[in-house]
Amino acid sequence: MRHVIVGTGIAGTVAAESIRRLDPDGPITLIGDESFLPYCRPMISMLLEGSILPDRMAIREADDFRSLDIDLVTGERVSRIHTTEKRLETTAGKTIPFDRLLIATGANPLDIKAGRSDLGNIFTMRNRRHVEAMLEVLPDVKSALVIGGGLVGLKAAHALIGRGVNVTLVEKLAHPLPLVTDRKCGGVIARRLEAMGIALKMGMTVTAFEGDGRVREALLEDGSRVSCDLVVVAVGSGPAVPSMEEDRIRVRQGILVDDFLETDAKGIYAAGDVAEAMDVVFGLRKVNGIWPVAAEQGGVAGMNMAGRNVPYRGGMGRNVVRVGDLDMLSGGLVNPPREGPYEVLEEEDRRRKTYRKLVFEGDVLKGLVMLNRVEKGGVLLSLMKRQMPVTLPKERLLDPRFDFSQLLPGMQSAVTC
Amino acid sequence: MKEVVIHPERCVGCMQCMVACATAHSKTKNLPAALWERPLPKPRIHLGVGLYREGFPNRCRHCDPAPCMMVCLPGAIYREKTWNTVLIDVEKCINCATCAMACPFGVIRYHQDSLGPPGKAIAVKCDNCVDRQGRDLIPACVEVCKCGALTFEEQGASLKRKTDEMARRVSAGAEERGVSESPGFVLLNVLKKAQVELSGREA
Repeated sequence: MRHVIVGTGIAGTVAAESIRRLDPDGPITLIGDESFLPYCRPMISMLLEGSILPDRMAIREADDFRSLDIDLVTGERVSRIHTTEKRLETTAGKTIPFDRLLIATGANPLDIKAGRSDLGNIFTMRNRRHVEAMLEVLPDVKSALVIGGGLVGLKAAHALIGRGVNVTLVEKLAHPLPLVTDRKCGGVIARRLEAMGIALKMGMTVTAFEGDGRVREALLEDGSRVSCDLVVVAVGSGPAVPSMEEDRIRVRQGILVDDFLETDAKGIYAAGDVAEAMDVVFGLRKVNGIWPVAAEQGGVAGMNMAGRNVPYRGGMGRNVVRVGDLDMLSGGLVNPPREGPYEVLEEEDRRRKTYRKLVFEGDVLKGLVMLNRVEKGGVLLSLMKRQMPVTLPKERLLDPRFDFSQLLPGMQSAVTC
Repeated sequence: MKEVVIHPERCVGCMQCMVACATAHSKTKNLPAALWERPLPKPRIHLGVGLYREGFPNRCRHCDPAPCMMVCLPGAIYREKTWNTVLIDVEKCINCATCAMACPFGVIRYHQDSLGPPGKAIAVKCDNCVDRQGRDLIPACVEVCKCGALTFEEQGASLKRKTDEMARRVSAGAEERGVSESPGFVLLNVLKKAQVELSGREA
C-alpha cells in the first residue's frame, strides 16, 4: 500500500507516524510546500516576540523520519490531485502515484477587503515565512496595526508590544477573542491588553490603507486614521483545499469527511484544519482549526489508512490563552443563543479574580469559559468531549475546588457501603 | 514494573503526601530547609476534596498514550522508558497550558519550580520520583502515606489483591463473618458524610 500525505503540519506528521506503526513496510511520502522540517505553528508568535530561536520550533528531526523510513519532501507544492487516477502532480513537475492519500494541507489566512491592501509591510501571520518577513522589516517599525482580535491578532499584538513597538488592535466585534470567549471575559482581557499599552479599537474595521510603496496610515470605518508602518492582518483563516476534481469530493467549509475521516473518494482522507469532521458538542460536521484536533485527526486518519477501522469520536473547539497574568480557557459553545435549550451557570469571584461560565443542555456540558485557575479545565473539557451527563449538582462544577474525585461513582459507593 | 497505586477509600486527607512530594522535589530535600527555599517547593500530588469531604490523592497516571503528550506544542512532554514515566522537559516547556486542556485528571500545575529554570514558570507534574527510584528509594508520597492509600507495587499484584478482596466480600457467609477490608476507613467516611448531611450544607 503506497501512502502519500500532503501537508507537513501536525496532522500530516502524526498521520505518517501512525501509518508506520501499523504498516511496517509500505512506502510513505510526506510532502509539503514549506521548506522547513515540520515545526510548531502556534509558536510563530514567539519567534516574532523573540522569546525563542527558530530551532526550538521543530517538532521532529530529520532523523525521526529517516528512522521510520518516511520519505519527507519539503518545499514542494502539490498543484493537482487526480482523484480517479490516484496520482498527484507537484509544481516541480513530479507525478506521485498513491493508493491511500491524506489531504492535510491546513488553512490559508484570509485577506482583508480594504483599499490598497497591496502596499508593502502588510502581512498575514500564518507560517514561519510570514514571521520571518516581518522580522526583516521590524527594526524600522515604530508603530503597528493589528487587524483582528482573535488568537492570532492577540499573539501578534503581544509579541510586537514586547518588541517596543506601539500597537493598535482593531476588532470588528465588541470584544477581543469574540469566537472563543464571552463578553464578560472578553472585557477583562481587553482591560488587561490596554494595561499592557495596546490601544484597542473594538467594533471597528479598516477601510483602506495609505502610503507610498509601504503602508503609512490606515483609514478606519469611522473616518479616523491610525499611522502605522506595519500591519498584521489576522482576520481568520480558511481551509486550504487543494486543486482536485471537486465533483468527486464534497467540499463545504472544508473537505467533508465521514466517521473514519475518509472523503467521498475511497482511499482519500482529510485531517486537520482542512477537514470538516464531526464536532461532538454541536453534533454536526465542522472545521475545528486547532492544533490538538489536527493531532487527533492525523492519528486516526493514519490508522484508517493503514487498514485499521478506527472511528473518529469527534473533535471539539477548545483554547487556552495567556495574556500577561491572565489565563483564559474555553471550549465548545461559549455564547449560546438566547432562545434554545441551554442553561447557563456563572460564578465570579472578584477577590480571587476568577470567573467561570458553564453552558448545559439538559445534563450535558456544551460549553465553558474559565478565567484564571484554569489548571483543572481538562477535567471539564473531558466531560464535555465525552458528552457525559453530569449527575452531580451542576453548581459544583463552578467551584474552583471542584475536583476529579467528585466524578468518581466509586467514591460515593465506598462511602455508603 | 512497580507503579504507584491509589486506594482512595483509605485516604484520610492528611496531606502528608503533598508535603513529602514538595520536599522530595526541593533543592535541599529537607523539610525545614525547604521551607526557606525560593521558589517555595510545591507538591506534584494534589489532595482533592470529594463530595463528602473525603480525601483523594490525585496525581499523574502516566497514561499511555498520554493526552498531554499528544497536544504539547513544543514537544516538551515525553515518555521516559526506564521508569515508564511521562516527563516534562523544563527547558523546552513554554508554559502555554495546552496540556491543561488535555489532562482529564487535572494534575498539571503552572509555576516556577525548584528544579526548573530560575524565574520561568513551567508546567509541573508528578515525575514518579524517578530521581529517588534511581537511588533505590520508593516515591516519596508512598513512603510517607500512613494509611495505605498510596502503594507502590506491580499492577498485576495490585489487581489480584483487589480481585481477592472482592471475591471474599461476595462469597457465601461474608456478611455473617463481617468481612470489611478497611472498617476504620469506612466508619470515618460514613461519619464525614453524616456530618455534611446533618449540617444541611454541601461540602
